Amino acid sequence: MGVASYDAIIVGAGHNGLTTGCYLAKAGLKTLIVEKNDWIGGAAVSRSLHDGWTYSNCSYVCSLLRREIVRDLELPRFGLQVIPYEGGATFTEDNDYFAYMSDHNALEREIARHSPRDVDAYARFSQTVMRQCRFIRPFLLRHAPDPTSLHPRDLGELAFLVKKAHGLGAKELGETIRFWTMSIGDFLDEHFESDLIKAHLAGSGIIGTGLGVYSPGTAYVLLHHYMGDVDGAIGAWGFARGGMGSISKALGMAFEEAGGEIRTGSGIDSFRVKDGKVVGVALENGDTFDAPIVASNMDIKRTFQRHVDPIHVPDDFTKAVNRFKIRGSSAKLNIALDRLPEFPAAPKDAPFLRGDLHCSTSLAELERGYDDWKDGRWSSEPYFDMLIPSQIDPTMAPPGKHMMTVFVQYAPYDLERGGVRSGQNWTDETRTALANCVYDKMEQAMPDIRQRIVHAEVRTPLDIENEVGLTEGNIFQGELTFDQLLFNRPVPGYSDYSTPVEGLFMVGSSSHPGGGVMAAPGANAAREILRRAGKGKSMPRFAA
Amino acid sequence: MTDTYDAIVVGAGHNGLTAATVLARRGKRVCVVEKSGQAGGMARTVDYAEGARGPEIAHLLYNLSPKVAKDIALRVETRKLPTIAMSPDGKHVEMAGDTLRFADGTAHPEAEAYAALRKRLVKFARLLGQLSDAPPPSLAEGLAGLRDIGGLARLGLNVKRLGKQDMREFLRIILSNAYDLLLDDLADGPVAGALAADAVRGCWSGPRGPGSVFTLLYRLGQGGDVLLPMRGMGAFETAAKDAGVEMRTRSTVASVMVEQDQVRGVTLDDGTILQAAAVLSSLAAPLTMQLAGARHFDIEATRRLQRMRAKGTTAKLNLVLSATPDMPGLSDAQKAARLIVAPSATHVESAFNPVKYGEASAAPVLEAVLPSLSDPSLCKDGRQVISVIAQFVPHAPDGGWTAAQRDDLSKRIIQTLEVHMPGLQDLITHSTLLTPDDIETLTGAPGGHWHHGELSIDQLLTVRPVNGLSRYSFGVRGYYLCGASAHPGGDVTGSPGRNAALQLLAEGVLS
Repeated sequence: MGVASYDAIIVGAGHNGLTTGCYLAKAGLKTLIVEKNDWIGGAAVSRSLHDGWTYSNCSYVCSLLRREIVRDLELPRFGLQVIPYEGGATFTEDNDYFAYMSDHNALEREIARHSPRDVDAYARFSQTVMRQCRFIRPFLLRHAPDPTSLHPRDLGELAFLVKKAHGLGAKELGETIRFWTMSIGDFLDEHFESDLIKAHLAGSGIIGTGLGVYSPGTAYVLLHHYMGDVDGAIGAWGFARGGMGSISKALGMAFEEAGGEIRTGSGIDSFRVKDGKVVGVALENGDTFDAPIVASNMDIKRTFQRHVDPIHVPDDFTKAVNRFKIRGSSAKLNIALDRLPEFPAAPKDAPFLRGDLHCSTSLAELERGYDDWKDGRWSSEPYFDMLIPSQIDPTMAPPGKHMMTVFVQYAPYDLERGGVRSGQNWTDETRTALANCVYDKMEQAMPDIRQRIVHAEVRTPLDIENEVGLTEGNIFQGELTFDQLLFNRPVPGYSDYSTPVEGLFMVGSSSHPGGGVMAAPGANAAREILRRAGKGKSMPRFAA
Repeated sequence: MTDTYDAIVVGAGHNGLTAATVLARRGKRVCVVEKSGQAGGMARTVDYAEGARGPEIAHLLYNLSPKVAKDIALRVETRKLPTIAMSPDGKHVEMAGDTLRFADGTAHPEAEAYAALRKRLVKFARLLGQLSDAPPPSLAEGLAGLRDIGGLARLGLNVKRLGKQDMREFLRIILSNAYDLLLDDLADGPVAGALAADAVRGCWSGPRGPGSVFTLLYRLGQGGDVLLPMRGMGAFETAAKDAGVEMRTRSTVASVMVEQDQVRGVTLDDGTILQAAAVLSSLAAPLTMQLAGARHFDIEATRRLQRMRAKGTTAKLNLVLSATPDMPGLSDAQKAARLIVAPSATHVESAFNPVKYGEASAAPVLEAVLPSLSDPSLCKDGRQVISVIAQFVPHAPDGGWTAAQRDDLSKRIIQTLEVHMPGLQDLITHSTLLTPDDIETLTGAPGGHWHHGELSIDQLLTVRPVNGLSRYSFGVRGYYLCGASAHPGGDVTGSPGRNAALQLLAEGVLS
């Protein structure tokens, strides 16, 4: 029997790999997606790990998924439904809270309760952030131009950037430069006086990163979390009904409807390369497949450090891949609750309880959490982003019971124990200790939380790496710092999704514009692959 | 009493003196008003004790602009110093230019990696250094924009000339953090520690903070040589006097007079009025605004100036020693080097942590020099002076600086030095500690920050000191900012002073 042959093979059925797959299949390429797990979705999955409960056990909320792609691939037709949640809160140690509410007047009253001056500050803050969102959004579904290139396409993209920047005017451009380079802590300090409000807003600047609230560049990370939308409401977040796996499921169905084929249950052994060109893949189970186009949904480190023989790439490239920074900094708790916990500080059934809940009350506390992480410890007072989606989406838990998702920042990949830093220090014992540390802090908001827990899954950066395949469990497939954004992402000179191996492309989040369940890297990469295959016209350009 | 000048300079720091000298050498009548009794600002030589002199705050030159030196006919004799990275195990490392070897002369395993890294950084730094001798690029449209697009275009062209590979590397690292950059090529030990310490000296940042590569490059803009000015830092004052600048020390400017949006001169606190069509302030930007009165600035500018970040983290300890201290592992010549105590880049980052919460580092990072070993004129009777810059120290710990906290800080600095200079404690005859708060009191620099404002990317170039006021002209016609809070920033460069003076002339204020 001969080797099965395809036009294109995609390694990894994460949301980006699936997105690339959809576009290639729709363009008529015979496309195969291979996935190491028995299920698809990568970090956008819904898993049932305790009878009756469904966990979005990696990514947990949705906003960044580009609506152009949702529409173009008709994902709602395949069951995708995103339900916005409104509000959120940070609970204090003294039985109070700051609540974020989508109702403008209610929000103003709530801010004024903590600081009358901050009402104006908030207006200025949201105006600036919204302006930056509008500025950045058109770039997400475009190539990052290579400034060293004289290729007309790069020059064209550069001209687009210059035109957009010029359109801001001198004053606004100055503010944009500042915003993009400053720390979220400094940015909030410039605006607000209430520590609690600052702490509530700062979380978005550090989620998933190896940076502290006072590290320059974290204002951009906040933007990265605000630039999405739910049904056109910019900055809004929502739950995918049925969990984040619904996104992958819809993408998978769209892919198969377009004629694509998915094979789960065996990961890649190696990318097969001949004379500098990719010729196919060899799987761990011994299967080999041929294709002149192969796309990797894995991050660039995993792709090249584990699955491509270094003799096929120049030393400089290998060096650049090795120094690409992918740092594990987050853990995840997925919890089954026997009923809704009590929030003694909050009014009964307050709508903001259906949003993102936190217990970190000052920027200094957040920054100390970062200092712990730098030394290889989890934050002694961790920041967490905690939601109970079953309040809005009843499909996630049995009637009357609830499911809770807790994203924990910071937890190191290479945990320090007895002076040694290693991923191997994550044991059942340290895993439990981490969970207990988080529960202690959660009691600030919900004193009865420990009694409510029926089952909990604790996922350390090591666990996320092992299951999903993300290096160090980094949710963005690479730090979102200046040296790894735009034309520098993932490696200078290869921001166009290509690699030194002809026919091998990077379609995951370690490519521009980076992580989050956005699907933009997958779509942008598909456009590049199709353009090189002479089928550039078969994919929409997406109006900017 | 009224005197009339072409221009008045507020503050006789090295930037104020530079601005004054540039104007005076072009035939303008210039007066510098200085509140203290001695010119120099942060670049002053003072008596540590009777018969023992040394640098009060800044102690080395590594960034002096040759254009400044030429324009103001600065005559300063310097001695190039090597750097010694002190190692806890006694295997100190000597860094001189691109060469790296152990202090005992043996080969260092990282010599090659170090040389390659430093060459690369100096190449990039020289490119950026070109931006220091002109006003920052303007974002505004129109003629002003066109005029200085020249400088920017030249930079762009030079970046392009680097070749594709270097250009990519430049664009990759320019906004990144020193910790990652250094540890990509070097093991984390005293060499990486010394470079990491250089990257953040004077800054409110650890080496892991993005932007710390820029501040490292900033120091290397003139090639990175470490120069000790012989007989101290007085050359700027001499140059000013030679150019005919009039100095009024012990005079304080109470306010800058503004009529119909035009500067008219200054009023001193004794009521004296000095008239001039141009006033240049070398004070920090927010203070410069206050001198003229906030009412002359639009609300956005006022807000931005008030929010300018200037949190000093650097203390100074000046000691007089009865004899040269013992330094095991160093030759007599090496004792005169620039000594860095920063065991690793990770150590520097950890030392930064406490200052974020208003506390001083338990194990401070130090840069120490014994200038009297190179320049015997500073001390009599075989004594020596040692000048130590210590990080990280908060500007204002909770509750302010107490005598006990000051003693504790001095003790920590001395203990950290004593590891490498056994018996140091017993040699100390005089000790002067300057906390960031003291430095603010002495010099007026907000927060005691030696750049008059954090040298972070969001306060650089076109947005330094703040968005909309980056081109030296400061809100009111004839009013100019010429201190370190203007582009390109602090260090003993003279560049802000020279650039401001030239900009003033170019804008025709005095014609």
